[in-house]
This record gives sequence, C-alpha cells and structure tokens, in this order.
Amino acid sequence: MSLPIDSSYRRRKLWLQQAVFALFRVLSYAVVAVLFLILGFILFHGAGVIDWTFLTEAPTDGMTSGGIWPAIVGTFWLMVGSALFAFPVGLISGIYMSEYAPDGRLVAFIRTMTNNLAGIPSIVFGLFGMAFFVNYLSFGDSILAGSLTLGLLALPVVIRTTEDAFRDIAPSYREGSLALGATKAQTIWRVLLPMAMPRVITGLILSLGRVSGETAPILFTCAAYFLPKLPESMFDQCMALPYHLYVVATSGTDIEAQMPIAYGTAFVLIVIVLAMNLLANAVRKHFEKKLKSK
Amino acid sequence: MVKFVEKELLTIQQEIREMWTLVHQQLSDAYASVLSADMGLATKVVSREKRVNAFELKIDSDIEDFIALYNPVAVDLRFALAMLKINNNLERIGDYAKSIARFVIRMELQPLDPELVERLQLPKMYETVLAMLDTTHEALNNRDIAQAKSVFETDETLDTLNQQAIDTLADYATHHPDAIRLCLELTSMFRKLERAGDHINNLAEETVFYIDAEVLKHRRAQRPEPEAE
Amino acid sequence: MNKIEAKNVDFYYGSFHALKHISLDIPQNEVVAFIGPSGCGKSTFLRLFNRMNDLIPGTRLTGQISIDGTDIYGRSVDVDLLRRDVGMVFQRPNPFPKSIFENVAYGLRVNGVKDRAFIAQRVEEALKGAALWDEVKDKLKESAYALSGGQQQRLCIARAMAVEPSVLLMDEPASALDPISTAKIEELICDLSGRTTVVIVTHSMQQAARVSNKTAFFYLGEMVEYGETKKIFTNPDQEATQNYITGRFG
Repeated sequence: MSLPIDSSYRRRKLWLQQAVFALFRVLSYAVVAVLFLILGFILFHGAGVIDWTFLTEAPTDGMTSGGIWPAIVGTFWLMVGSALFAFPVGLISGIYMSEYAPDGRLVAFIRTMTNNLAGIPSIVFGLFGMAFFVNYLSFGDSILAGSLTLGLLALPVVIRTTEDAFRDIAPSYREGSLALGATKAQTIWRVLLPMAMPRVITGLILSLGRVSGETAPILFTCAAYFLPKLPESMFDQCMALPYHLYVVATSGTDIEAQMPIAYGTAFVLIVIVLAMNLLANAVRKHFEKKLKSK
Repeated sequence: MVKFVEKELLTIQQEIREMWTLVHQQLSDAYASVLSADMGLATKVVSREKRVNAFELKIDSDIEDFIALYNPVAVDLRFALAMLKINNNLERIGDYAKSIARFVIRMELQPLDPELVERLQLPKMYETVLAMLDTTHEALNNRDIAQAKSVFETDETLDTLNQQAIDTLADYATHHPDAIRLCLELTSMFRKLERAGDHINNLAEETVFYIDAEVLKHRRAQRPEPEAE
Repeated sequence: MNKIEAKNVDFYYGSFHALKHISLDIPQNEVVAFIGPSGCGKSTFLRLFNRMNDLIPGTRLTGQISIDGTDIYGRSVDVDLLRRDVGMVFQRPNPFPKSIFENVAYGLRVNGVKDRAFIAQRVEEALKGAALWDEVKDKLKESAYALSGGQQQRLCIARAMAVEPSVLLMDEPASALDPISTAKIEELICDLSGRTTVVIVTHSMQQAARVSNKTAFFYLGEMVEYGETKKIFTNPDQEATQNYITGRFG
C-alpha cells in the first residue's frame, strides 16, 4: 500500500528549504561584506600616508605630520609585557582549575567569576589599574602598569583556553602516564602540557591581539599623549597606537591635517591585529604538525 | 596463522600420530598372536586396549577444547573435524584388534593348520590391512591426496579376500567337523579385518577432506556396500 | 602461587553498587581473562588492581585486594610504586605526543632512571618484546603518531613492559584494532604468559578463549563463575555463563 502523500507538500518543503538557505547565505555574506567595507574604508583613507617615514619617525608639528614609530614601539612593549604577565598566571590558574581544584562549587564559582571578569568593561580595568598599579603600588604611569592592566584583561581568556585545553585531553593520556608510576606533576609537565600548548598559545595570541587594540585600560595607566623619544625602561610612559588614534582623531589642533594620520594609524593597528591572528593560526598549525609528525 | 594456534594444531597432530602408531601396533600384535598362537601377546593387546581408549578420550577432549577456544575456520576447521573422525575410526580399529586378541585367548588357540592359513591367504589379509593403515598415515603426513585415494582400491582386495575366506572356511568346516567353531571364529575375524579396512577407508576420506575439502563419503558409486555386522 | 588475591571486594560509584562481594585469586605468571556484557564491572574490577579508580571522585571500596601478600589499599602503600609494578594497557592506543623512543623511555624517566645507555638498551628490549623493533628501529626519533593503530598499541605494551612490571593489566587492548593487529597483540599476550601475570578484560569471548588460562565471567557487578578457560568454554557450571558465551544473551 502506498502512502497517501500530498504531492504539493514535497514541492513546498523543498522550496522552503531553498528559501531558508538563501537567507542564511545572504546574512553570512553581509557580515563579510561589512568587514571588507571597514577594511576598505580604512585602506582607502589610510594607505596614502603609509610610507617609510610614517612608520619610522616620531610625530612632528603638533602631530599634524611625521610618523607613528613611538606608538608602534609602545604597543609592542605593552603586548610583550601583558603576555609576560598573562601567560604564566593564566597557564597556572588554568592548570589548577582543570587538574587540581576539586570538582564542585569552588571551581564552578571561580569559573563564573573568571567569565564575569571577561565581561567587565575595559574602562573599569583602566580605572582599577590606575588605582592599584599606578597609585597603590606606585608604578606611576608606566609600561609596567599598562602591561599589567592589559594582562588582567587578557587573563580570563588565557585561563579559559588553558582549562579547556587540559580538560579536552582524553583521560587515557593521564591514566597512561599515571599507570607507569608517574606522579600527577610529572604527568602534567611531561604529557599534558605539550599536548595543551598549541591551544594555550593560540588563546594567548588571540587575546593579546584583542587587548593590543584597547584604549581604555591604558588611558590612565600608561599612554602618553606625545613623547618624542622611545621608552627606556618599563617604568617609562609610552605612546600606543589605539590611544594615538583616539588622540589625533579627537583632540588635535588641525583636524584636516590629522585625519589621514588617524586613518594611517588605524590601518597599522588593524594590520598588527590581523597579523597576530594569522600568527596564532600559524603557531597552532605548527604545534599540531609537530605533535603529529615529530 | 598465529603462533599459538599453530602450537595447538601441532599438539593434536602429534597425538593423532601416536594414536595411529599405537593402533597399528595393536593390529600387528593381534596378527602375530593369531599366527603364533601367542597367548601372552594376545593378553598384552587386550590390556593395551585400555590405553587406546583413554588416548581416544584425551584426543577427543583436546580437539573439543581446540574448537571451543580457537573457533577454527577453513583449513583449521577441516583439520579439527578430520582429526576428530580419524581419532574415532582409529579407536574402532583398535577395538577390532582387541576382539581378535580376545578370540585367541578365548579359544586357547593352537597353531593353525598351515594348509588352512595358506588357503585363507591369512597373511595377505593382515598385511593388506596393515599396509593400508601405513599408506593412509603417510598420505596424511605428506598431505598427498593421490596416495590417500589409492587406499580405496586396495579396500576392494579386502572384500574379495573376505569373500574367498568364507568359502574356504565353509569348505574346511565340512571336512573338519571338529573345527567348525574355529572356522566360525575365523569368519568373524575376517569380517573384523574387512571392517577395519572400511574404517581405514574412512581415515583416507577424512584425510582427503582435510587436505582438499573434498567430501568423498557416499559418493563413490563403485564402492561396495559394507556388510552389515 | 597467587599473585593477586581479592577478598570480599565491594565497590561503589557514589550510591551505585558496581562490584558485589567479589573474591578471586589470580595465579602468578598466568593469563586471566575477565568477560561479561558491558557495564558488568569487569573493567572496574581490573582498575582496582593499580588503583586507577582512585582518580574517579566519589568511589568507595570495601574488602581487600593484595598483590604479593601486601594490601595495596593499605596506608603505607605508595601508589606510584604500585603502578610501576602493575602496568596497564588501555582500550585505545594512547601513545604520548613524543617520539617512539621517548614513549618507551617515559616510564623509566619518570621513575628516575638517568643512565642513558641503560635506557637505550631497555627501550630496545621492550620494543623487541612487543615485536615492534624491526618495524621502528630506523625511526625511533619519529613521532609515535606516525605509527598505525596496531603498532601504537604494541608501542603502549612496550612502554608498559619497559619498567618491568610483574603484573600487566589490559583493558580491552584489541577492541579498537583490525584482526591482524589483534592477532599480533594476542600473540604477545601468549608470549608474556609464564613470565608476567596478565589480567585482560575483553569483550571478545574468542579472545578470552584463545589467550587465557583462566576466565572469570562477570554479570551485573557479580562474578558469576571463575575457572579454567577450557572448562568455562566447554562445560561451564553456571547457566548464565553458558548463555553468555553462546551468545544467548548480553
């Protein structure tokens, strides 16, 4: 006996499927289109000012001409500093959460708090950095204070990715190591860490890419409006790309002359962030290949 | 095939070989005890029969274990099944050897009339049976199908010899009424030898089955029906 | 002589009574197989012998398990020393993300062996013992992940054997492997018997039959029957055992 099938139903459901898929496609393309629009816009306005001088010299003439070299250097040091802080602290916390903390309310609480930390507006971090690092610890406005503040901002992501990376390792690797008479610490150090490292590093680089574009946290802790010379120690202030962009775009003396510089700065910043993301990808692939083949 | 299964197979093969030799010994000793009317030898055959039976049980249970534990397939399965049947057939041949030895003891057999032995072709009968047993064993060891099949033809010689022996014994009994009982016993012995030949045929069939998966049973139309016992 | 003796072992995951009053003795240098349907407790029981279940929170054990006459759950027992003496091979091959050589050397290194010549020699012996040497001797420095699944599992056996355990626990060691690799693993187990006490959990009754001297049948957390493998597979005492091994349930 054949089924009493309504032949128009099949046509309708196929049509509906086509329509829904088309909608999905349009939406995803729209997102990509917006991204390219922004990039194109920045490129269109900023590419013109990019040249060797722009990249290697300090701003001149009240920041209406010259380059952004001190800001690039400042951003670089801030990223290095925040990485030096966020990586070990995040790694250790993540390992503790995944491997040592007893499962239960405490860990769940810490995890929720870590997630909340990630949700705090970055300006609040800036405020905290100023109160704690700059004033309480008397670091002053400095690369150190700025790096620590940015590091705090990056920390939740690093902790989270570390914890996830360790948790996702199949239990049989832990058991395999312990079953040979290894201690827990030996197991973590010799087996789990090498396996988790690609994801941890990727997480770190991605979060650094994210914080390298932050303005608010360094606003009160580190960034200088204008410094003709490069920082000499971690207790110096420095210029930074996002803050420089903010400054030239909003509070200049000659907006007309400064706009191309702002776009140029934005362009360099975007290139750096994109480069960080690509680097993260490359590092992950490299480690994965190394794990698989060497 | 993995090593440890190979080891089990070799064990079974070795046991079957020993069983074969043992049964061959039984039959040839039975023959010797008839020819030389050797009561001592006959007694030995009878008591050794217990060993044959025990050995049969051991091989049976070893093959049973092998099948249960290793789930053999293909040539290994054929080997196991063939050895199981070969084992049983050998035991039957051993039984006949024992019965013949029993007859020697029961009759308190005196040396037979040489003329009768001559007319019965008694040595030929025994030697044929023993030769068939050897040939089949060799065929199994060499995995030689042609050699195994050669046994089937020899089997017919046994049938003929048996038929002739019955005639001869009937004739002999008519002329020596005092030897009627002996003659009856001797017909029975010949029939046992002829039956032993049938069992050797089975050995050869199983050998062919093991080597080549060829099922020969009940297929050879030219094979005479075995007499009912 | 008994290598492992378990007396009245009850084991709980939280409130779940996973093992019910199990007593069994495992003779030295023999291969003992645990069979039974999934969830019958056979793996759980196996993992008690090297205290692997310690890793699972909320478990509870009563009764006694001793190896060489020592209660392994006693207070003075060092778990890492116990585990060095009671090796384990897992269901899925779990080589570490290291070279072939370093995988086998791992157990030696974490136990404090520093002598490089000794390590090299022991790695070679262990790989030979696992019938892997000829296949890997030219690529010891390559990643263990470059090996096939079957080779990886033999590597794991070599890794376990490198520290010379007196007991080897195997938790379904061939269930993720193809028939050829399985046959090789089974051959290894047969090679080990007589030198090492091997306890193997397996879903394959044929495997239990092929490799073990004694077999224990578990069902619903109880040990239904334990005896000579030949006996279990030709004429088991319990009907439940017969039903299981003949495939009539489970």
